[in-house]
Amino acid sequence: MFGKRLFPGGVHPHEGKGGKSVNQSNPIVPLPAPQRLTIPLSQHTGAPARPLVQKGDHVLMGQKIGEPASFVSAAVHASVSGTVTEIGTCYNFGGYEVPCVVIENDYKDEWVPLHPAEHPETLTAAEMVQIVREAGIVGMGGATFPTPVKLTIAPDKHLEFFVVNGAECEPYLTADHRLMLEKPTQIIDGIRLLMNAFGVHETLIGVENNKADAIEALRAAAANVEGIKVVSLPVRYPQGGEKQLVYALTKRVIPGGGLPIDAGCVVLNVGTVFAIDEAVRKGIPLIQRVTTAGGLMNNPGNYLVRIGTPVRSLINACGGTQPHVRTLISGGPMMGTAFVNIDIPITKGCSGILALDKSAIDVDESACIRCGRCMRACPMHLQPAQMDRLIRVENFDELDRIGVLSCIECGACTYVCPAKRLLTQSFRSGKRIVNIRRKKVKEREAAEKAAAEAKAQQGGQAGKEA
Amino acid sequence: MADQKKSSFISVFLNGLITENPTFTLMLGMCPTLGVTTAAMNGVSMGLATTFVLVCSNLFISLLRNIIPDKVRIPAYIVVIASFVTMIDLFMQAFLPELRAVLGTYIQLIVVNCIIFARAESFAAKNPPLLSIADGLGMGLGFTCSITLLSMVRELFGSGSIFGLRIMPEGYLPMAIMNQVPGGFITLGLMMILVNVIKKYASARKEEKLA
Amino acid sequence: MQKNLAITSCPHIRSRKTTQKIMQDVCIALAPAGIAGIVYFGARAAAIIAISVVTCVLAELVYEKMMNQRVTIGDWSAVVTGLLLAYNLPSTVPLWIPIIGGIIAIVLVKMLFGGIGSNFMNPALTARAVLFVSWGGLMGTYPITRYMADTVSAATPLAVLATDSASVSLVDLMIGNCPGVLGETCKLAILAGGIFLIARDVLDWKIPACFIGSAFLLFLLTSGFNFDYAVKEIFAGSLMLGAIFMATDYATSPQSNLGRVIFGVGCGLILFIIRAYANYPEGCSFSILFMNILTPLIDRYTAPKYFGEVKQHG
Repeated sequence: MFGKRLFPGGVHPHEGKGGKSVNQSNPIVPLPAPQRLTIPLSQHTGAPARPLVQKGDHVLMGQKIGEPASFVSAAVHASVSGTVTEIGTCYNFGGYEVPCVVIENDYKDEWVPLHPAEHPETLTAAEMVQIVREAGIVGMGGATFPTPVKLTIAPDKHLEFFVVNGAECEPYLTADHRLMLEKPTQIIDGIRLLMNAFGVHETLIGVENNKADAIEALRAAAANVEGIKVVSLPVRYPQGGEKQLVYALTKRVIPGGGLPIDAGCVVLNVGTVFAIDEAVRKGIPLIQRVTTAGGLMNNPGNYLVRIGTPVRSLINACGGTQPHVRTLISGGPMMGTAFVNIDIPITKGCSGILALDKSAIDVDESACIRCGRCMRACPMHLQPAQMDRLIRVENFDELDRIGVLSCIECGACTYVCPAKRLLTQSFRSGKRIVNIRRKKVKEREAAEKAAAEAKAQQGGQAGKEA
Repeated sequence: MADQKKSSFISVFLNGLITENPTFTLMLGMCPTLGVTTAAMNGVSMGLATTFVLVCSNLFISLLRNIIPDKVRIPAYIVVIASFVTMIDLFMQAFLPELRAVLGTYIQLIVVNCIIFARAESFAAKNPPLLSIADGLGMGLGFTCSITLLSMVRELFGSGSIFGLRIMPEGYLPMAIMNQVPGGFITLGLMMILVNVIKKYASARKEEKLA
Repeated sequence: MQKNLAITSCPHIRSRKTTQKIMQDVCIALAPAGIAGIVYFGARAAAIIAISVVTCVLAELVYEKMMNQRVTIGDWSAVVTGLLLAYNLPSTVPLWIPIIGGIIAIVLVKMLFGGIGSNFMNPALTARAVLFVSWGGLMGTYPITRYMADTVSAATPLAVLATDSASVSLVDLMIGNCPGVLGETCKLAILAGGIFLIARDVLDWKIPACFIGSAFLLFLLTSGFNFDYAVKEIFAGSLMLGAIFMATDYATSPQSNLGRVIFGVGCGLILFIIRAYANYPEGCSFSILFMNILTPLIDRYTAPKYFGEVKQHG
């Protein structure tokens, strides 16, 4: 029913050692919580959460320790029981200092009283959003956009169906794969609850066809549920990009600068759906997630990690990294963030910790040979080589015109470039400059308008006076 | 006073000859530059003919600059320029018929040569006659020098000789493209690179001296 | 804490394809045609190939040293230019011809415009055109191969085809036993190279397919559906070499898919016009050079609409 070519562009990134082929058969293992957990209050897009505890407080597992500070923000919960030893700051993977709560583990894992939804099957949309907000759920694919914000549908928009992202198109990562394989019934149940709450009758789950067993498992679980369809997608990065996934599944195009809701849907990651199910059925907030430890780990695996566990514990659990590791990455190799400090805590959006032997600084940039590979790889149909050239000659008006703001920074162009040019990196700065310029133009126009109005008013007054 | 005038006469002359060389800096008069520069002799005669017209027209336009109404200045310039072009054309037909046959219509086309127009418009119409003559001489000789240089290179590779004197060894097979317009473009481009390099070097030296 | 860790911006993995590997692939693909040339035209063909390649590489090296630029001869692109230039010369030319040609190709056409990727015309073809216009006598006489009987006239297949297509043997055209420049004669070797490059994802099939296809159709239509004649036309001359190795030069051909189709069809059309109506017997180089100049224009008008730019969901 769907064509083979499911979205324009895309690449097939290769994997080194410790990739999907190894890790997809490693079951999810709970990682023992460490002695001390550092839970950042900013693990999501938007404002950091406001701390609810003080130094010396005793907290229980699942207790809310941070409250959303604004609409676009998310709650944060204690992932172990123990004592708050510090409210301070820590570094995140991006290298920024963020506020955090440090908890000394008492190893009792005492739960806070949990409140599962009383009538989960008949929740209203507002109740569902409230539960999701209380549970501190954010997009688990890596973007960490607060899910309740996504689920708050603007009155002029119409939600027709859900799209569930099980593509996991990043190389090396197997966290979603294992989750779909091990918890298919809960994922399907979560989808069903969402569909009930929002009065939606259709959901499409997109899974890349290199995860045939996961597709089987989900199909079996969804056999008796009406309206849920599991679609097998060809393997091509970035299949899991929102716009690409929606297009592949429905042939609907999300307009430039728009959101999936403009195409009538909301896109959720399988991990997010699983977390929603846990929150509704058991009342458990988001305090742990599945994280892949892959690449050059001595024993790669998939771990259920408490939020706030330092990377060091995960690496130790894998038996350490091999000696010739050059980069550590949080997330996938295409869009993840490199870091050096292994005391950084694992957060809600961390789908994987990878150790790789080559780094981008090991290759030299050379002149563009105009081969056009970047153009064919671009899932957004942009002209990467041309955009790079415009950024280098600082022609930002033309850059804006050819659509640089549509770049999703997936890295496909940089991956294929035979001249090894740092295209994505260049676009990131280009986008920032274009945004600033747009803002300036807007401000200037507003100022001019205000000035003109003031003048008109003055003229009117002068006329009156005369 | 006289001293000042003299120095400005020379500076205007040098400006045309070197600083604002019509071929390599202003890029004016490209049509004859590419068209007739296949032999050094053609270059020299074309250049001198242009210089003659340029000096005379500059002088007369400068003399008439306060009489010519602004609105009809272009037709007026054309009348002045065309008179001198006709003079030189008839002169060449009478005394240098062979050269005239080679240069052909390019002589008549001096009427619309942009060097002459540009100087009339931007210099002669605003300056006194003496300075205008200096400008005409400078620009004219600058043009003559550069197209002679160009045609020497083209003649050397295209025919193996300079001013008709054989330079290349006996077995040299002439590079025919040099006698065609593409060869003119290539030579002009390469010479402009050379001129720019020399200019850059010279200005760097000057700055060094000042510092 | 671990040592020697690097912080870089994503993506953290890069494809294994490099400019150097692409150019090496092209060299490998060009090898069969060169070997065929040496077989048919003898040691002199080998000498011309060697001189041409060495000149091109040296020219690039010397230029970059003189200009204090990074030396880029390691990317093998000068070798490709040298090979292509040599393949476009008859084996009888004096040995100084490839030297002048190599210098023109590398210095004049490639380096002065900014080096690899910045030249707006194909270096080897431009050099060939300059040589052809300058020394038409040397460049325009094609020797017969070593395996042809002396009695056979040395007219090129193209010249014969126009009047008497039946007398040209298709098999000879395919294996290359016919007069021509040293790299163009053996069409099978060229095709094999082309298939290798397509398999290695170096070459986009669209330009050669549209080039050859449109030329074939035009010859077929104008000859009153003389199939034999049209087939021989596309196997004669340097059409194959040009379509597969020179029209597809990255720097001088469009990047978008539609642009490549337009480019290929345009080449085919101009080739047909030159062969059928113009004075030159062969129009391959000039058709490609002409389309090279149109490439920026084609690129501009065939730029893709970005995903979600216009179309709204229905």
